[in-house]
Amino acid sequence: MPDSVVEQPFEPRIVAFFCTWCTYTAADLAGISRLEYAPNVRVVRLMCSGRVDPQFVLAAFRHGADGVLVGGCHPGDCHYQQGNFNALRRFELLRQTLEELGIEEERLRLEWISAAEGDKVQRVCNEMTEQVRRLGPLRLSPVPRPHVDEPQVELAVEVAP
Amino acid sequence: MPERDGNGKVTSWTPPEAEAKVGVYVCHCGLNIAGKVDVDRVVEFAATLPGVEVARNYKFMCSDPGQDLIRQDIRDGLVNRVVVASCSPLMHEATFRRATADGGISPFYFQMASIREHVSWVTADAEDATEKAKALVAGAVRRVLVHEHLERRKVPVHPDVLVVGGGISGIHAALTLANAGKHVYLVEREPSVGGHMAMLDKTFPTLDCAACILTPKMVQLGQHPDVELLTWSEVEEVSGYVGNFKVRVRKKARFVDEELCNGCGLCIESCSWQNVPSEFDQGLGTRPVVYMPFPQAVPRLPVIDRAGSSPCTFTCPAGIKAHGYVSLVRAGRYEEAFQLVLDTTPLVGSLGRACYAPCEGECTRSSLEGPLPIRRLKRFVADAHYRAADGKLPPPASNGRSVAVVGSGPAGLTAAWQLARRGYAVKIFEAAPVPGGMLRLTIPAYRLPAEVVERDVENVTTLGVEIATSTRVDDLEELRRSGFDAVLVATGTPAAVSLRVPGEDLDGVVTGLDFLRSIKLGEPPDLRGKVAVVIGGGNVAIDAARSARRLGAQVHVVSLESRPEMPAYAWEVEDALAEGVTLHDSWGVREILGERRVAGIRLKRCTDVLDDEGRFSPQYDESVLDDLVCDAVIVAVGMTPDTAAFASRLRLHANKTIEADPVTLQTAVPWVFAAGDVVLGPTEIPSAVAQGRRAAFMIDRWLQGEELGGAELDPVLPVVAHAEVLARWERHPRLEPLAVSTRFAAAPSDFAELEPPLTEEEARLSAERCLDCGICSECGQCVAVCPTDAIDLSGHGREVELEVGTIVLATGFKPFDARRITEYGYGTYPNVYTSLEVERLLNASGPTQGEVALRDGTRPAAVGIIHCVGSRDVRYNAYCSRVCCMYSLKLAHLIRERSGAEVYNFYIDMRTPGKGYEEFYEKLLKEGMHLIRGRVAEVTDWAMSPEEEGRLVIRVEDTLVGTVRRIPVDMVVLAVGLEPQGDAEDVRRLFNIGCGPEGFFTERHPKLAPVSTFTDGVFLAGACQGPKDIPDSVAQAGAAAAEALALIDRGAVELEPSTAFVDAAACSGCRTCVPLCPFAAITLDEARKIAEVNEVLCKGCGICVAACPSGAIQQHLFTDEQVLAEIEGVLAYA
Repeated sequence: MPDSVVEQPFEPRIVAFFCTWCTYTAADLAGISRLEYAPNVRVVRLMCSGRVDPQFVLAAFRHGADGVLVGGCHPGDCHYQQGNFNALRRFELLRQTLEELGIEEERLRLEWISAAEGDKVQRVCNEMTEQVRRLGPLRLSPVPRPHVDEPQVELAVEVAP
Repeated sequence: MPERDGNGKVTSWTPPEAEAKVGVYVCHCGLNIAGKVDVDRVVEFAATLPGVEVARNYKFMCSDPGQDLIRQDIRDGLVNRVVVASCSPLMHEATFRRATADGGISPFYFQMASIREHVSWVTADAEDATEKAKALVAGAVRRVLVHEHLERRKVPVHPDVLVVGGGISGIHAALTLANAGKHVYLVEREPSVGGHMAMLDKTFPTLDCAACILTPKMVQLGQHPDVELLTWSEVEEVSGYVGNFKVRVRKKARFVDEELCNGCGLCIESCSWQNVPSEFDQGLGTRPVVYMPFPQAVPRLPVIDRAGSSPCTFTCPAGIKAHGYVSLVRAGRYEEAFQLVLDTTPLVGSLGRACYAPCEGECTRSSLEGPLPIRRLKRFVADAHYRAADGKLPPPASNGRSVAVVGSGPAGLTAAWQLARRGYAVKIFEAAPVPGGMLRLTIPAYRLPAEVVERDVENVTTLGVEIATSTRVDDLEELRRSGFDAVLVATGTPAAVSLRVPGEDLDGVVTGLDFLRSIKLGEPPDLRGKVAVVIGGGNVAIDAARSARRLGAQVHVVSLESRPEMPAYAWEVEDALAEGVTLHDSWGVREILGERRVAGIRLKRCTDVLDDEGRFSPQYDESVLDDLVCDAVIVAVGMTPDTAAFASRLRLHANKTIEADPVTLQTAVPWVFAAGDVVLGPTEIPSAVAQGRRAAFMIDRWLQGEELGGAELDPVLPVVAHAEVLARWERHPRLEPLAVSTRFAAAPSDFAELEPPLTEEEARLSAERCLDCGICSECGQCVAVCPTDAIDLSGHGREVELEVGTIVLATGFKPFDARRITEYGYGTYPNVYTSLEVERLLNASGPTQGEVALRDGTRPAAVGIIHCVGSRDVRYNAYCSRVCCMYSLKLAHLIRERSGAEVYNFYIDMRTPGKGYEEFYEKLLKEGMHLIRGRVAEVTDWAMSPEEEGRLVIRVEDTLVGTVRRIPVDMVVLAVGLEPQGDAEDVRRLFNIGCGPEGFFTERHPKLAPVSTFTDGVFLAGACQGPKDIPDSVAQAGAAAAEALALIDRGAVELEPSTAFVDAAACSGCRTCVPLCPFAAITLDEARKIAEVNEVLCKGCGICVAACPSGAIQQHLFTDEQVLAEIEGVLAYA
């Protein structure tokens, strides 16, 4: 290896699904409070953690995420009363499914974060980033990324008569 | 081109073009973003993304020129989708949507990426920040390509408003709204509005009297035609959404009718217990049970403080208000106490001696030093009344009907009394030569003298009730024929159960009942020097044994049961043994020996009395025998009714009791009722009294033609738990119970009454030990004195449903609990006070009428005021409570003015920021107040020098001088901080808002939206949102009212269209979604077997969407396609 090439440390990419009322607001609060944390987490905003469809989690892994974080209100505090309980049930099932697929359980994390817990957002993002970094990249068959990877060879497609 | 109206507002949308053209706008936000994120590179990157036509950056996108960039690009046809990368969407999504709409396309063709709160403000490395910003922008771009146009639904806003909390904030908000012509409901959980401000003496900085400025507003509020006050009420449930809230409010029972009460206050004066610790006076003063919290209360309606039924009253089978008469004795009102008992039964004297007092068994004081002698207090009031030889009561006006009562025992007498009071002509038929039943004929005189029973009977006859003695009734029909409208059979259990052993018919064998009766009627047998054997283990046997002893006999008691199993009262057995009676327990009788007269008795061992099911089934061991020589045998093995004569008309049970409905006491014959032991079998006196009362109540209803079943004889509140009562009292003065002095010799020779009466002093002292378990004793004085009959102790609370469009929360604060800081000695040293307590002392209508006094009533020479108690303290609350410096200075000034004491203020910083506050501070500095800068380490009474003896010493580091000082004072005032109310967490869940980390309600934005919450339509005012003083509270209340008015006057509100919708073609009718909706917004159309979403109910959470197996149900603004696009976008590029 040439001396000029420096081995880059693996930077995990984590997709987070945050509910608007609690966790997303907490993340905003972390920002207002200028709490610094690892930049590896990309937040997708939903109205409620109960909206998190298992297929979102699988899609995230498929598209290259090394970890998925789901954030919702504390049990009993859901703005829609019980959405976070639905999220919890789905999370449990998902974890078992992912285990079957050989995906480590630390890659999927569910956290209850209230709108006042900006510091918890910081802590959880940092912790998870570290954990996933230690696990290494998730090895799944890659989804083609035409703008980054090499252009694919065009396949001829037979059209049935 | 979009259509616009006359004002230039867009009224229609340009239909989306086949090709989406995205414009990306990256904001610098000054240096907030640009200082960390390389905005130029983000723009460059954005331009490379598929679908992006325009990429710009600008210093402040939210400003007018910033928004113009968007508007212009749209109008120029350059873009038809907009992405703004700037601050949080919770901040400016609405702003940019509006800009997009103004440009001429749907406001929903817009997506925001937060690269400030989520990137520039939280990322250390600039390179990392830029990369993250790029990823988020990519996500937003990828998403906005699949956005759709949506219509916002408009809902009307109900014009009525709910204000929760009646302190100064709530009052001001309510008045503002009512003056604008809106109907306002104000719910306040205390009996009066006024809140904490009503407790203050003077307010800073003007030193206005708090009451003088507050009470006019309170009065205005109470009289305003558009304000409906619901005081002594709490919000139970809230449902609905902005513009359409349904609120369920529970109005707690006042027991005072709001319409009838005229606020005269006679009830308050008449209350028998004036010493309940006053909450308003912070426990420093007292108030009566029926009270108004302070003199200027609005509304001017008293409330009766009832924690529940006191255990003594609750347990009494007869329903006598035991706590009531104890409280009246305590107040020295003996005649009222007598009348209270008389209200239930005429047998005041008899019960005061012979009742088995289950009330004492339930007395909470039992678990301290011992129960109150409730029964002996009843005797005390009976004796007091009977001694006074009152004039006769005039009989009440006749109602023209008559009732015959057969039997003059406790049930019959009580029923006759109750009926006669209601105007019935009552005649009692008694088979014995004297009235009174078992009270007169059986219970020995050493426990219940005949004169007492006779006096009790007089209570009944004085009303005009006739008693025909020596008149046995066998034919009930005859009574009916002679004109009685109803008949009550209350003949008790006058017959004795026989032993059924050989020899029972010998001379010298008598039943216990006959034996005792012969003594009570003045013809006792001569048993001097004789040996008497009493058979039986119940009270009649023991009574017979103790009576025989007094007649000179040597007495043996033979009982089947072992001593602990004997049904007789344990204390009776003890007394019998102390009087020299010999007990042979666990023996049965085999035969009575003798020729024509009794000579002896042969006993056999009894091995078991009850079988496995608890039924009476004695087992004997006939091989173990014992003989007793005796001259007399008294058989007391059971009592039974004498009802054979009624068997033809009434239904009888196997044990000869009369079958009567347990609730109505009506027999098989509608005009015949039965009550007492003749229905229940042998019971105790208060149970028979209870039956008599019930029978009278039912007979009255029946004769008036009213429904019998379902009528409440004694409406009672649930009983108060002992633990709750004991917890309510922190310190219990130890009052030992009075020793019951019973004088008896080992062989008592007469039937003189054993139990001495209580002296007046003993009675008062005993009554003073009462813990007032239910708080209200139900003594009935307030009911009697009210000129408009407004008081009804059987009242209930009720629930009301309100419909409002907006809600203002003004629930206030609670003071920090100073006990938590043990080093300041609050609760340990008597002269350490909180600021609120001192406010009450200073207040002219407070517990000391405005005197600054120590606990012993003397004036302090020096007072120390400690700032920041519970505030600015990482151990308790880190925040500053904002008002304490100012009120501490105010208290310092007032204390000095009133008492001349030297005042020391111990502060960390002096915070006096408001209008006139610094000037106030300056003025006080010139008054000679001592100000010491330092956090007080401790307050102690441990003197280290003569000047400190007997005083409190404040130890503090004086940081300006640089030494530790000890300052002796007489009084310490703790400037306690403001905390959220104890139930803030529960309240905030009711209204679906949030609480911050300190527990105060969370505002939508601390700077720009301090009175609104994240729930549209719910606003905040006053200290519930954060500590603040009165001017700020009033200002905030006005702001909340204004925001509510803005909603109401707009008339309608547009809802965020993030609702769910069903693609009918894809829906299989599997119903997975239906039970998941927390708002029941999804139903299945049975005809088409397709799920349907009710848009009005749907709140837009998306729970159903995540669950749908076929993806048929989707959520607007958050469809699967849109979210998946965003996921792909944030991962695709970096």
